[in-house]
Amino acid sequence: MTKLDELMKLPGAMAAFEFRGSGELLEQRIAYPDRIDESILDLLAHMCAANMSIATMQARGWEKVTTMKGFYPVQEFTLIGFDWSVVVSGLHREQYKQAGKFSLPPFMGVVMANDKADYEAAFAILEKQEPVQ
Amino acid sequence: MGTANDLLAKPGVIAVGEYAYRGDRFSYRGALTEEYARMASIMCRATTMGANMEGAMFEALRSGSGLHPPRGWVVHGPAHTVCVIANMFCLLDNTKASINDIVGFMRKELANVTPDMI
Repeated sequence: MTKLDELMKLPGAMAAFEFRGSGELLEQRIAYPDRIDESILDLLAHMCAANMSIATMQARGWEKVTTMKGFYPVQEFTLIGFDWSVVVSGLHREQYKQAGKFSLPPFMGVVMANDKADYEAAFAILEKQEPVQ
Repeated sequence: MGTANDLLAKPGVIAVGEYAYRGDRFSYRGALTEEYARMASIMCRATTMGANMEGAMFEALRSGSGLHPPRGWVVHGPAHTVCVIANMFCLLDNTKASINDIVGFMRKELANVTPDMI
């Protein structure tokens, strides 16, 4: 089972998606096509790419200025809307960077209904280590 | 700061702060210096404003999307997490805090904070 399929098994999962660091949507699973479609996910992926970059910059700056550690690298950024949340991660990319690879795997994310959202379960799936190829 | 005190009493909560949507006023409790709390407030406000802009864009594209209006955001690092709902931020120790519990508590307690001042 792919990680996208695993994310879709989370309680309240509405969509799971992969996107480039520049934001382009690469692959997706959608549970409710009447509520979320490819065009929505494409905009969301671009927003998530921007949010991950800003959060990473802030985590890096915060650690440098305060000497407090444990914020960088950002493992997940979660946007909490009124009814839905979206959790995205690029942690798998860190493994590739540490292995000296220049070609990095995509970011991944999941959209969940807030009333059922289990953020910690989403983090656990997104943080699952996979072999570097 | 009743909600802030309740949050601070939860396991793994290092510090809690509140920032004004407009201007640079802030207050905080917990293990941060005043200067670091000021810096955290500024970063949290900037990210919250970005999230609100994104929510408005989403709403313009597809009205009724569940992401609008945004309620907050979470940055999860290897050892620490920052949780923000409305205009309150919370700094967590990942080994002791339950993010599900903290986000659930903040969403409930701050449900009536209106984004009118954004």
